[in-house]
Amino acid sequence: MSRTITVEGDVNTIDTRTLLTGQGSVTAPSLVVPAGMTKIKKIIVTAAADGLAAGHVVNFMRLGGNAVLNGEQVFVFGGEDSIAPQAGSDAAPSLGEFFMIDDADIDVRSSDTISIAGEAAGVDVGDQTFAITLVYGK
Amino acid sequence: MSKLYRTREGTISAVDTKTQLTTLGSETAPGPLLVPAGAKRLTATILAYATSQAVAADGSVILRLEGPGLPEGPETLVVGSQGVAVATGGHGSRSARRIELDIPVVAANEILLFAENVGEDVGDVTVGATLEFTM
Repeated sequence: MSRTITVEGDVNTIDTRTLLTGQGSVTAPSLVVPAGMTKIKKIIVTAAADGLAAGHVVNFMRLGGNAVLNGEQVFVFGGEDSIAPQAGSDAAPSLGEFFMIDDADIDVRSSDTISIAGEAAGVDVGDQTFAITLVYGK
Repeated sequence: MSKLYRTREGTISAVDTKTQLTTLGSETAPGPLLVPAGAKRLTATILAYATSQAVAADGSVILRLEGPGLPEGPETLVVGSQGVAVATGGHGSRSARRIELDIPVVAANEILLFAENVGEDVGDVTVGATLEFTM
């Protein structure tokens, strides 16, 4: 059996650990690992930038908190870059396809809280929205 | 068999120049990337990059893995490539790529990660690399 949790949030400042705690209309979804779940099996994550600053970043996630048994796990999931268009012209949109780890196999403890944070490193590209789904299993 | 993930990032600013990835965003000095205790294999890398697009040129990015944590010696991997015709008005978004590997490692020893812009100089490139270790 699988259970899922999805969270999202804005990551608007470079080199800043930003907790992702919202879920759109649900402002505070539970971050407690469901009973009986012992692993994070899959991770699905996406991001897009408004590109209002000329920069280049790699984005990464931090999975931590009391529920993650072997300490914080950090992984990159994508890159965003942007350079200002000429006056009077438009830049192409940023279309963030999701990245998935199919067999993440991260040990967790059920009924404890997981901390999910996003961060961008490099040179600021403007505002970004991150969204991540964790798929729990046994 | 659980997995452990270790990540570093950094920015390349010169072509054909090994640039070590030593930081992790807000962690400016995370220390050496050590093979976790109990880890036996490097089973995948997850790689992402982004460029400044500030030079009308084309080039590729590679990753070098070196150090005493790799008993069989250094390894190299392609990260991606970039080319632009004009240095204005670009906007890119790329998902990371996961590359499955099967490389023995030595626990408690260091792996050094270097990124390099090869081909033409495409400007500044930020590269992130995650190593997936299996116990």
